[in-house]
Amino acid sequence: MPGAVVLVHGGAGKIPKANNDVDNQARLYGVKSAATAAYEALLAGASAVDAAETAVRCLEDFPVFNAGVGSRLNLAGEVEMDAAIMDGRGLRAGAVGAVKNVKNPVSLARKIMDLTPHVLLVGEGASQFAQESGVQLVPMQELITEKSRRALAQVKSLPFGIDPKAEEEEEEHGTVGAAVMDTAGNLATSISTGGISGKHVGRVGDSPIIGGGIYCDNMVGAAVATGQGESIIRTCLANNIIQLMSTGMAPQQAGDSALETMRQRVSGLAGVIVLDRHGNSGICCNTGHMSWAQLKDNELSWGLSAG
Amino acid sequence: MPTEPVIIVHGGAVSGVHTYGSSEARVLGVQAAALAGWEKLKETGCALDAVEVAVCSLEDNPTFDAGTGSVLNQAGEIEMDAIIMDGKNLDTGAIACVQNIKNPVKLARKVMENTHHCLLVGKGANLFAEKVGISTVPLEELVTEISRQKLELCNGSYEDRCKHAFKASNVKKCVKHSDGEHDTVGAVAIDVHGNMAAATSTGGITAKMVGRVGDSPVIGAGCYCDNVSGGVSCTGHGESIMKVTLASRITMYIEEGLSAQEAAEKALDYMFNKTEGAGGVIAVSKTGEVGVHFTTGFMSWAFVKSGKLHYGWIPGENHTRAVE
Repeated sequence: MPGAVVLVHGGAGKIPKANNDVDNQARLYGVKSAATAAYEALLAGASAVDAAETAVRCLEDFPVFNAGVGSRLNLAGEVEMDAAIMDGRGLRAGAVGAVKNVKNPVSLARKIMDLTPHVLLVGEGASQFAQESGVQLVPMQELITEKSRRALAQVKSLPFGIDPKAEEEEEEHGTVGAAVMDTAGNLATSISTGGISGKHVGRVGDSPIIGGGIYCDNMVGAAVATGQGESIIRTCLANNIIQLMSTGMAPQQAGDSALETMRQRVSGLAGVIVLDRHGNSGICCNTGHMSWAQLKDNELSWGLSAG
Repeated sequence: MPTEPVIIVHGGAVSGVHTYGSSEARVLGVQAAALAGWEKLKETGCALDAVEVAVCSLEDNPTFDAGTGSVLNQAGEIEMDAIIMDGKNLDTGAIACVQNIKNPVKLARKVMENTHHCLLVGKGANLFAEKVGISTVPLEELVTEISRQKLELCNGSYEDRCKHAFKASNVKKCVKHSDGEHDTVGAVAIDVHGNMAAATSTGGITAKMVGRVGDSPVIGAGCYCDNVSGGVSCTGHGESIMKVTLASRITMYIEEGLSAQEAAEKALDYMFNKTEGAGGVIAVSKTGEVGVHFTTGFMSWAFVKSGKLHYGWIPGENHTRAVE
């Protein structure tokens, strides 16, 4: 029986400029803290789903990441967030799209999975359920950072507005995520994002798309993506990785291969973290930069680029 | 060498004998939609235009659960989802939980062509509709008496209703609830240039939670289309379809060498084994082969190929007649 494994990422983007070293250190601190919190929970008996939620909650609470606090703003200057969680047992899943005022969207996704017969709730319906389910609600201002404001101002200053490759071109990074195996060998994945700066109101990216930004099946493995959302969706990235692993391909190879296929088909770039059902991991990225951390056999490893 | 064009549509996979509407209305509806799509294929030679026209025809027909005739959510309102996908470049446009517009598939196409995004939801989708000149209609124009009655007669939990509405035909009947749950519509086409397109549109499931999105506008779940493999549109229990990414599963099986029919059957089997959910699919492979399969009691479907219109409703049924 493989032991507990936690793999988290803080978003993929292009290599940031040198004077953002402070942010890089903050990202590394964030992913290491999230991985550690999740791993400790696993060792204390938490399920993979609990730990996946814990990891992403941590990342959502760190303003340096584009999720929860620190989420990028839509064209109207608001925070609309997407998130999802998937349980490798029975393909249970919960997801939320374009929700406002929720401090931890991944926890709302979990409530959707556990308390409703649905998989995906969006917009005002999602906010309504958030109120009913008891997740913490906050004024929008609490989620907005100076960095997010500046990123929006920059997009608005461009002659043609948002660019489809903006997510990986932005100095700032995208979606956060986690892939976890618990001590019983169960897998779970979680994902959360504020999306692209200057996106249309109501735009939903790959994160809450089961099979796009996230997938998890105890029989095969788990994959969570970050990067150019529309490209990830159109090529069903997470799904492809799971499919490649089901043929026996190792997680690293499956992730790299699926990313290359995506790049060739639709020119999009992304990063993914992958686990197979034996606890082997893959950390893959062709954008040049992705903060990540892994805890396995009590050893913590981390980095700012793939592998 | 030009490809032989094909267009196929479905009007929803459901169980139970219908006390609402008639099977005849459904079969006539899918025939009309397939023929409308076929005319468009002949006119413009464009699969994308053909699936849009076919789905619009189904949306405008109050018999089906899409556009006019959409079922009501828990709050008594209509929230619609739709998607359109171009197999050439995997360009996609989708909308979810949009309100008070007549043809959601048209708005989905605008998302694909006028934005860099794939999916707009809720109020944002409606704002975008205004921006691109798609007018709103009063809710009353989309609501039918049947949709209202279904909401009123809804018993039990959503799960129970789904088990009843979409139960697999090999599962023991559940006796409790109002039957005749309508469903999603969709279309898949391949044109003379070998380009493929697919589209799906729905009002969802009666008494769903406000903001609930099913499989229909989710790429890879309710719809997928890729010139290198094929195009698919699905119908049935949305949550189950999402969990197994049904549409892209079928295109994946086709890519592995299965025929469109074999892929459809294998994928629905897989879905039932993993989730106990049932549904129906239509598929066209890149070579123009057609697949139709459903694990519920009934599914209205029709396709035009090689000068013939094929259609059916009951499992195993395949009526044909000549078309120009």
